[in-house]
Parts: sequence; structure tokens; C-alpha cells
Amino acid sequence: MLNYILRRIGVSIMILFGSSFLVYNLAAYASDPLAELRLSTDDGARQQIIALTRDLQLDVPPPIRYFLWLKGVLGLFVGNLNLGMTREASSVQEELAYAIPVTIRLVLVATITALLLGLALGIISALRQYSRFDYGMTFLAFLLYSLPIFWVAVLLKEFMAIQFNNFLSEPNIPIKWMFIFSIFTGIFWSSLFGGERKRFWSVFAGAFATNFVILWAIDLTNWYLNPGLGPILIAFLSIGIAFGVTAISTGLSNSTAKKAALTMAGLAVVWYYPAQWIFNNFGSYLTILIMISLIVLTGIGLSRVFSKIDHGPIARTAIITGLMSGILILVDRIMQSWAEYSATDAVNGRPVPTYGQRKDQLVTTDFWINNLDIIMHLILPTLALILISLAGWIRYSRGALLEVLNQDYIRTARAKGLNERVVITRHAFRNMMLPLSSLFVGEFVGLVGGAVITERVFGWQGMGTLGIKAINSYDLNLLMGVNLLLSILVISGNLIADLVYSALDPRIRLGK
Amino acid sequence: MKFTRSAKFALAAAASAALAVSLLTPAQAATRSTIVIHDTNSLTSFNSSTPDTNLTINSKVGNLSGIGFYYINDKKNVVRNTTFGDFKIVKNNATDFRIQYTVNKGLVWSDGTPINAVDLLLTHVLSSNTYSKAAGLGDPDSDNVPAFNSNGYGGTYNDNIVGQPVLSADKMSVTLQFKQKIANWDLYGPGPAPVHTLVLLAEGKNGLQSVKDNEAARDRFLAAYNSKNTAVLKAMGKVWSEAYNITEVNDKTNPLLFVGNGGFLVDSAVTKSSVTLKVNPKYNSGPKLSGTIDTVIFKFISDGTAAAQALANGELDVYSGQPTADAVAALKKLSNVNLIGGINACYEHWDTRVGNAPGQPDYNGIFKGHGGKGADLRRAFLLSIPREEINEKLIKPINPNAPILGSTFIAPGFEGYERLVANNGSGYYVGSQEALNAKAARLLKKHYPSASPSNPVKVNVLVPGNNPRRAAEFALAKANALKVGFDLVGDVQASWSPKIQLSTYDAQFFAYCPSAVTQAGSNANFQIGGGNNRNGISLPNLDAILNKLQLPMDNRTYISTIIQAERIIHQEGLTSGVFLHPAVTAVNKNLKGIKPSPLSDDVVWNWWEWSY
Repeated sequence: MLNYILRRIGVSIMILFGSSFLVYNLAAYASDPLAELRLSTDDGARQQIIALTRDLQLDVPPPIRYFLWLKGVLGLFVGNLNLGMTREASSVQEELAYAIPVTIRLVLVATITALLLGLALGIISALRQYSRFDYGMTFLAFLLYSLPIFWVAVLLKEFMAIQFNNFLSEPNIPIKWMFIFSIFTGIFWSSLFGGERKRFWSVFAGAFATNFVILWAIDLTNWYLNPGLGPILIAFLSIGIAFGVTAISTGLSNSTAKKAALTMAGLAVVWYYPAQWIFNNFGSYLTILIMISLIVLTGIGLSRVFSKIDHGPIARTAIITGLMSGILILVDRIMQSWAEYSATDAVNGRPVPTYGQRKDQLVTTDFWINNLDIIMHLILPTLALILISLAGWIRYSRGALLEVLNQDYIRTARAKGLNERVVITRHAFRNMMLPLSSLFVGEFVGLVGGAVITERVFGWQGMGTLGIKAINSYDLNLLMGVNLLLSILVISGNLIADLVYSALDPRIRLGK
Repeated sequence: MKFTRSAKFALAAAASAALAVSLLTPAQAATRSTIVIHDTNSLTSFNSSTPDTNLTINSKVGNLSGIGFYYINDKKNVVRNTTFGDFKIVKNNATDFRIQYTVNKGLVWSDGTPINAVDLLLTHVLSSNTYSKAAGLGDPDSDNVPAFNSNGYGGTYNDNIVGQPVLSADKMSVTLQFKQKIANWDLYGPGPAPVHTLVLLAEGKNGLQSVKDNEAARDRFLAAYNSKNTAVLKAMGKVWSEAYNITEVNDKTNPLLFVGNGGFLVDSAVTKSSVTLKVNPKYNSGPKLSGTIDTVIFKFISDGTAAAQALANGELDVYSGQPTADAVAALKKLSNVNLIGGINACYEHWDTRVGNAPGQPDYNGIFKGHGGKGADLRRAFLLSIPREEINEKLIKPINPNAPILGSTFIAPGFEGYERLVANNGSGYYVGSQEALNAKAARLLKKHYPSASPSNPVKVNVLVPGNNPRRAAEFALAKANALKVGFDLVGDVQASWSPKIQLSTYDAQFFAYCPSAVTQAGSNANFQIGGGNNRNGISLPNLDAILNKLQLPMDNRTYISTIIQAERIIHQEGLTSGVFLHPAVTAVNKNLKGIKPSPLSDDVVWNWWEWSY
């Protein structure tokens, strides 16, 4: 095994060397950093040509200049990495160090959300194979597959930002849209639940009515000008969460778990008012972290109180319930800052931005307003990325689960009388994750590579933007910095994917 | 503790009603005091005068935070800023030309220090190779970086200055001596710089000092300048070259870096995102601020569509760029925006080869040599470029008023342009394309009797790559030239500018983008030994005419001189201008006073006129 890894690393280094040499020379011969200056009739152009030639060693032929660059890279091993300077005289390392966190902030949430949502939809789709829901999801997946992201981004900006902001200046939902939206919601939920025609219509009616009433209430109270969930809604939602989580985690027949989850939901609602006071006075990431730890501890405590044996599943159920209710309270608190945020001079009544990472002119020390600002800037690019990558996950997970469900061990599990929940969560789900695991690794490597188009369209100064800038401004050192980092990530990502796969699946052996 | 549902509902309704009322009344009516300006590139430094940081966005920020003896308006005219001071010629003969620059009394830097002529001396340090060498600051022409890593060395100022500027006894004026009266001499004068801040920064001070200390620091600079004190000047040079290369500015940044005499001074900056400038309460060096604007923000957005949507969403107040026809159509639809069409200073033109560029192998192509066959074929070739069609199809959808260029020396709209175009021989290239084609075919047949669309004469053309508009331009030219009997063989090169000089190409087309207006700006393109003469043009009679442009002259003489020069150029078929690159500026409907200029400071040159 160790032998195998060492051999792979050795080969990787050769590949890195070869590819960087090739890219360096191709890029150096294809571009001329002095192009614009040569044509300039400016007085300063002469001095600029002298300075750039000196700083970037343009008088050295590229194949030799490559080794000067390589010397800087190999400086890594003596603790003196030097990737050279950009044309604008900043250090390439610094540019990369700035860009990587930006990219991760942008792509992390989107990737995780798309993954979870895609898995969930794919699994339900597979369990209801050839149902209305399945066809619906297949349609949705192929629709999303075929959308170019720059176009999605433009549409999102037009409707979710520009038009929505216009709407907020004169908020009024037309009855027609309430109907259309409610019908859509009704169809979604009734397809999700499936069943006979009677059940379909009853679910449809329920979902339609609920949605219509909610929209009507929202419109009547101008909720979107001063949004919030409030303790009542949080209580209802928390109880729903408690039931839902228990059903999936342990099954509703486990009454101890159900009691623990419901108690947790109750505690979350009781905690609502003290939490407001704490949030208002001590708003910080540390506070949130402490609250999360409290929830975990309470969950473990509840499992001890309610049961003497088998604490694990009960604690798990209670903790997940608690965390989800906690998220509701957090969302509620962030929503409470909406009106104040919207009224600031920087926002000027148009809270959904189309561009950038922050509103730089927003000067406030308020933790919640600052976070709301970050969230508002994340919403559209995240949504665009989710829409694009959701399709893949729906298809992959549907296919993987269907494959597993046809295996003999699933039939065995059913034959020995296990209930369907256990068959799915314990036997089918774990095995379907095997082929997906290597996809995850690839996806997370892609995280750092950056979403080139999304970053550019939404003005995030991450890795993708950096790469484009390097190409457009003929900035060889910058281009090589981006290229080197991505090559290393891709090569090591592939290695890790292989290792993870063999670790998860004992049937697979590496090295031969 | 808990509210009932209806209580909560009632509360929510009441709260939102109250909020709605408060939102509807004053906030909307209040006048905005912030203006957000878009720029394609991110700021890299607050000193735009080093070779590495010479970007337009850097100089735009500098434009707002400092003002000197003159500015250039949207008509490309030099306008004197007499609030700051004035300058006059004090001696004027063939070998001795002196100008005296005088700063008005009572002007202050933003830290309260009075401005005087000592603040003008830094320009000499930044522009004179002689001074840099004499003071031990390094030779700017050598491989070593000079102490002041300035972009200004080796230019017109350096080539013509005699000695050092002389400071008057009251320290309110300096006198510069030049070898001769140079054209556009008013562009090469000194600009004010708060030298005391450089001294204080070099001494490691942090934070603004008292006026007394500042004046003492300025005296230390003057002493070092006069005695060429290498140590002091080198320390200042290090600050000048390096300390301003920051992109993040907040409360902790040393305020000494941002002392200026402009209307708006840097307040904060976020790396790769924006720069915020706030009004300078002590500003008295230029025209009075007319509006209520107290904050100017530059927001960096590289993507054109994204910027247009940000404008539609009210995140930007001013957008400018070189957009496509589609983008212009989209901008026109926005209801909250005024569209100001325009041009920038870049002019597209087709050049033909006469001989080889210096250091290149001999040129033996069809256009070889002045006069006779070469000139006939060059004219025929330029006649076969369908300028009208190119302009109609590629430029007019963006800028409906785009003219076809009749001169490559000055742009339409410049004083005397009409007289120039009527007399400079450009009329030869104007007419219906059928007539021009017929004229071209006659010239071509004279030397290649068998030339025809089915048996065309090959012309090797360098085509700049990575540019859809140029690809379309070449396709149109190729189609029409074939009708005449030329077969344009395009060589598409992504890295094209160093290849212009290669003798393999008979013709090239690209754009020059002058960033300042100088009389002799086009000389380098046509003179023997000129830096941009890559086609082997060698016409002593043309050189003699162009040399006159080195000296100042009134507009009438200037136009008459260009007429003489361009007659030769057009007769020889050396170059033909096609169109000015279009530009577009879109501004928030409520914002007044934005007048885009074709030069690189585009929208910011008249910041004192902005208002809501």
C-alpha cells in the first residue's frame, strides 16, 4: 500500500513537471506582455517597457526562463516559496492566498446544499421509480443540465434582484400569482407523497390551501418588509421537524426517541426568548458555537434521561431535531435585521444585490446586519451554482440507489423481515454512497478551482477570476501560479479518491 | 409570556404598517450624496506614476484627490485652473524657453499645510534622468530600479529641460528652462505633490502632524533637493515607489498617505472590490464643488453584462465601457438610466508596407518602394477596403453617429477638422464602393493586367486575433477586395503587436490609442526612425513637414501643416483611418454633470460639476 502511494506520488511529480513546462512555454510564446505598450504613443511607455522587461526577465528565452521560475517553486522545500510577481508587481502567492478563501466561501455552501438536496431528491425519485415524481425529477434534471450558467445568472439577477427590489418598493402580490404558485406547490407535494388518485387530490388540496393562506397572509402583513418567523411558527415547525427526523432516524415506533425529539423541539421554543436577548447583546460566531454545543450536550443528556439502553440513536435524533430548530431561531434573528439593513444608506431600499462579496460602503458593527449583508450577496451565486449542479446529483444518486436496490442482499434483508426504513437507510443507502464517494472528492477539488463563470458574472474575486485575469493580461507568473495549484489539486484529488474508495469498500485492492 | 396567534398577527400587521409608512416618506425623497462609479479593473496602487501601476483606475483615483495648474476637458482642450495658480512664458527664443509657474497664496493641503512652489519640485525628481543620476538615485535607463521608480523618466520633459527648476525667493513660483519652445509645452509643467508627507513617511511618522512640523519637513526636503542628499532622497523614493502599493485602506492605515489638495480624498478601500473617497473639507485648489455629493465610490466590475445589471439594480450610478451592440440595446431599455453614447480615443486604421522596418529582412512584396507601382498598388488596396460597410455593420449599431475617419492625425470634432478633411487628399478614398472599386481595379490593372476576381493578386495581411470585431472587419474587407482583384491572405495572430514590423506582411490593421493630445503625437508613425514607423516609410519631404509640428503653432497653421503631411500620406497610400472605437456611458437618471471624455480619465475629469 505504502509502495503504491509512493509510486503514485512519484509519477504525479513527473506529470506536474512536464505539464508546467509545456504550459509555461505555450503561454509564453502565445502572448506578449508588452503588446499594448509597443503601440502606445505615451511618454511613459518607454520606461514601462524597460521596467517590465527587467522585472519579468522578458529578455530570457521562455524555455530557460521556465527554470528560473521552477527554482522559485522548488524554494518551497527550503521554506522560501517564490511564485514570482504579477505584472502589477504584487506577489503571486499573495494573490492566491487572497483568492482561495473567497472561492471556498462562494462554492462551499452551494456544493453542500446541492449535494444534500440532490441526494434527497434522487433517493425519493428512485424509491418512487416511474411515478409522477420520478418523471418530474427526470425532467427537472435534464432541464437544469441544459442551462448555461451565465444565462441562469442573468435571469436570476433580473427576476430575483432587479424585479424583486422593484417589487419591494411597491409590494403587492397579484391574486393570479398566488393561484399559480399555490397550484405548483400542490402538484409538487402531492407527487412527492404519491399514492392513489384520492390521496393525490387530498394532498394537493391541503398543500394548495396552506400555500395560498400563507401567501395571502404574507401579502396582507407586508411580511417581506419586516420578515421573521416568530415563536408560534417556530413551535409548529419544530414539532414537524421532530416527527420527520424521528421517522427517518429511528422510525416513529421508537417512542423514546420520539419523546426525546419532541422534548428537544419544546426546549427550542422555550429557548426562543432568552435566545433573542443573548443574540441582541452578544451576537458573535462564538455565541452560535456555544449554543450548538449546548444543543449537542442537551441531546446527549435527553437520551440518558429517557432511556437506559441504546443511547446513540436517541441522542442522534434529539441532536438533529435541536440543530434544525436552532437554525430556525437563527434564521428568525437574521430576518429581524432585514428592515434596518434595507433602510441603510448603502442599501437604499434595494436589499438584493446583483454583484460583489460585500457592500463596502455599509459601515456597521452590528453582527447580524453584517451577516445579513454577506448572506444577501451569497444568495444569487449560490442559487445559480445549486441549480447547475443539482441535476447531476439527482441523476447519480437515483441511478446508484436503483442499482443497489436490485442486489441480492436487499432481497435478503427484506426476506428476513426488516422494515422498509431499515432496509433503505442501513442496507441500501450505505452501499449506494460507495460509487458517489469518488465523485465527492472530485467535486471538492473543483471547489478550489473556482466556478470561473459564476465568479466573473457575480464579481467574486476568487480563483476563477484570477485565472481569467492572468490570461487576459498576459500575466505568465500569475497564470502559472493558478495552473500549478490546480494541477496539484487535481492530481492529489484523484489519488485521494482512489484511497477513499479502497478504504470504504474492502473488496477493492490497490497496487497491483 | 407567549402571545396568542391573533395577538402576534395584529402586532405584525401594526409593525409592518408603521414600517411601511416610515419607508415610504422621507427615505425616498432624500437626495443621495453618494456616487458609485464602475471601473473594469481593480485598483492596484494609490500612485499611478510607476511603471507597474500605470493603470487608468489608479490614475482616476489620483485625479479626484489632486489638482494642479490645468486639466483636460471632454473636448480634449487644456483648461487652466487659475484657482490653483498660473503660468506664463518669461523668455522665448530659439535656444532658451522659460516658463514661470506661480501658485496662488492661501491654498492648503488637506492636513492644513499651505501649498507653495516647493511642492512643485518633486516633478523634476520624477522626470529628469540627469537629476536622478546626479543625486545618486540610479540611472533609469539601466537595469537597476531607480530610487524613485517613476514612469516619467526619459520623456519629452527629460529631453528638453535645462538645469533644474529655479525657485523664487518667496517660494511661490518656479521657473523651468527648456532647450527650445516645445509643442504642447503647457502639458509638461510641474504638478503639486505634498512632499512633506513623503519626508514624514520616510522618517517613520504615523498620523498627521502639526502644520509647523509639516512646514519644517518640507524645508528638509528642499535642503535635500538642493544639496542632492542621496540618503534623504533615497528614503523618500522608497516611500514614493512602495508605500502606496496597497489596496486595503481602513482606520489603521497611515493617513499621511492620503494627504491631497483635490475635492475628494481616499477614505477607505477594500481589496479588489472598491475604493471610497470622501469630500475634502479644506479643498480650495480648484473649481468650487457644485453639488451635494460627499462620497465617491469606485466599484470594480470586470464583466460588462454584470455591470449593466448592477446599474439597473441601482448598485451603480455610472457605467462606462466598450460594449457590444446587444449591450447597448439592453442599456437603452433601462428606465432609471440615461445613456450617453460616445467614442474613445482609439482609432482603427489600415496600414501598408513600403519597405522593411529597422533590423528586419528586405521587403520585396507588391507594395515595395515609394511612388510608382508601390504607391499605385497601395492606393488600390486601401480603396478596396470597404470602410463605409465596416462602419455601417460593426460600429453604427453601437454609435449611430459614428463617422468614417478622414484623418489619422486629429479626430472629428477637433477645431479645423472639416477644413483638414476637405483638403488633405482623403477625398480620393471617399465615394460609393462601386466607384472606389472601379478606381482600384484600374490602378491594379495598370501593373497586373491579368488581375481579376478569378485570378487575384495576393496580399498578406496581419489580423489581430482574440477580437471578434476585427475578425468581422477582415471578413468584410476580404470579400470586397476580391471584387477588385486582391486576395487578402489573413494571418490571425493572438500576439500580433510585435509582428507588425515583420516584412512578411504587406498590410496590417489595428488601433492606436493616444492618451493625451499632442501636436506631434502621430510623428512617430511616419518619420524615418520613428518609434512606430514599422512599415519602412522613408520620405524626407514628409519628415520636414512633420518636424514643424514639434514647435508650437496656432490652430490654423497646425491644420495647414497636417494638410501638407496627409496629402503626401494619402497620395502614397500609407494609411487609411476607418473608425473611432465606440464607447458608452450610462448614468443614473438623477445624476447631473457627467461628461465622458475620450481620453483615459473618461468620466472623472470634472468631478466638481457632479450633483444630484
